Amino acid sequence: MGVFKDAAELYECIGGLFRRGAEHPEMGPKIRASKLIIKFQYTNPEAQLTIDAKNPPPEGMYFNVIEGENDLQADVTMSMEADVAHKFWFGKLNLVMALNRGMMRAKGPIAAILKLLPSIKPAYELYPQYLREIGKEDKIMG
Amino acid sequence: MLPSFVDFTMRTRLVAGPGLVRELATELAGYERVLVISDAQLVKLGLVREVTEPLEAAGVDVVGVFSDVPPNSEVEVVMAGAGFARARQYDALVAVGGGSVIDTAKAINMVVATGQHLLDLQGLGVLDEPLGTLVAIPTTAGTGSEVTSHAVIKDAGTSAKLTFTSPHLAPDLAVIDPVMTRDLPPKLAASTGMDALTHAVEAYLSTNANPFTDALALEATRLIAQNFRRAVRERDEESRYGMLVASSLAGAAFNVALVGCVHAMAHACGGLYDVPHGVANAILLPWGLEFNREVAAERVDELGRAFGVEDGRQFIEAVSSLAAEGGLPTRLSEVGVPREGLEAVAEAAAVDGAVFTNPREAGAEDLLKLLERAF
Repeated sequence: MGVFKDAAELYECIGGLFRRGAEHPEMGPKIRASKLIIKFQYTNPEAQLTIDAKNPPPEGMYFNVIEGENDLQADVTMSMEADVAHKFWFGKLNLVMALNRGMMRAKGPIAAILKLLPSIKPAYELYPQYLREIGKEDKIMG
Repeated sequence: MLPSFVDFTMRTRLVAGPGLVRELATELAGYERVLVISDAQLVKLGLVREVTEPLEAAGVDVVGVFSDVPPNSEVEVVMAGAGFARARQYDALVAVGGGSVIDTAKAINMVVATGQHLLDLQGLGVLDEPLGTLVAIPTTAGTGSEVTSHAVIKDAGTSAKLTFTSPHLAPDLAVIDPVMTRDLPPKLAASTGMDALTHAVEAYLSTNANPFTDALALEATRLIAQNFRRAVRERDEESRYGMLVASSLAGAAFNVALVGCVHAMAHACGGLYDVPHGVANAILLPWGLEFNREVAAERVDELGRAFGVEDGRQFIEAVSSLAAEGGLPTRLSEVGVPREGLEAVAEAAAVDGAVFTNPREAGAEDLLKLLERAF
């Protein structure tokens, strides 16, 4: 079995990280400024998270985080196994290598995604902290 | 130390030799109808005929020549080319031209095979299935597009350069023949040659380099040192052949290793101020080398030795004089980049995909300093 037992657990962990990112004073405004809608399609378990930096966000957040399928037109769609995403958010995945090997697929303007990479660096520290906070220490990668 | 993981691919079969283009029918045994993608200038110069006449003599039907490809191809051109292709029955596409023509042929191949609009095919790894057969015959020695899995097409509406990457985009066959570069004007030979050298250098210094790309990059560097000057001045067949082989070697290297900050800055100069890609690379390469030498001195020394000089310091000097000897501008101020525009170039370069495999982290401030020195 993979890192997440089902979609609910993925939404709790990665979705929760995204919501923290949406409140983060450094990452939030930069992602908001991109005005992008980015869909993350996961397999094993099947799940979908959407970052919507185009439409107005809820109060206290810089962008929307949506769990599950929706009708929003994505600018960029990233597809990957949930385990790959988990590794990525620890900063332990060479993105170029992952894309070259087909572990991740990016549909849409690649430059738009690459532009965001420097902005999301704080997430690599935030993810293990957040997992610890919600009692998911077992998912922290060494 | 060897990397813990190595990934190397070259999907394109490559054949090379003087006069080989006349034997294309042998390489295309079993194919009966081909469609040629090229540009109007190459048709006028008779280079397209160098390819089509022997094919027709061998009984291969050339069902059409799409020759509307401009120097920096655009989405609309690709869609028009795809319409031209769909209206004809063919079993192989043959691209005769420089990087713009070959990238356009890759994009047409993709649009025809998937039935989708080009704008819906942007991305990395979007294609699931192999495309139709594509043959690439380069008429410049620089882009390496004949062996790469990438295509860059301009969106005229937004002026953005769109990137398409998939292993299925790589041509099935590349035919390298110095006959096809016989009419290359000296300045174009110099700027495309500097592009090839930049591919080799940046692939060798890339964080994604591996022993396979290293071997290709070093040999490309050695061949460029041997042939660049003659290919620009005397334009003899042997040196033009050497530059074509070097360009393909460098293409195969950067196809996997990718490039670095010089390309990032060159893309930004091209996007914002229409500076030709090879010219921008020629101006910026010495400064990029200087910057990266801080963290990769040994690798820059190795490039220098491949180039035939003693060390990295001499290599940087040799690269600067090579561009000047080729008659190319050596300052950004000479190619229409205003001083007040440097900040915007640095900002754009700092988020260009190429910068992410540069050996030294390069933010907008670092890049601005390099651009100021190159101004």
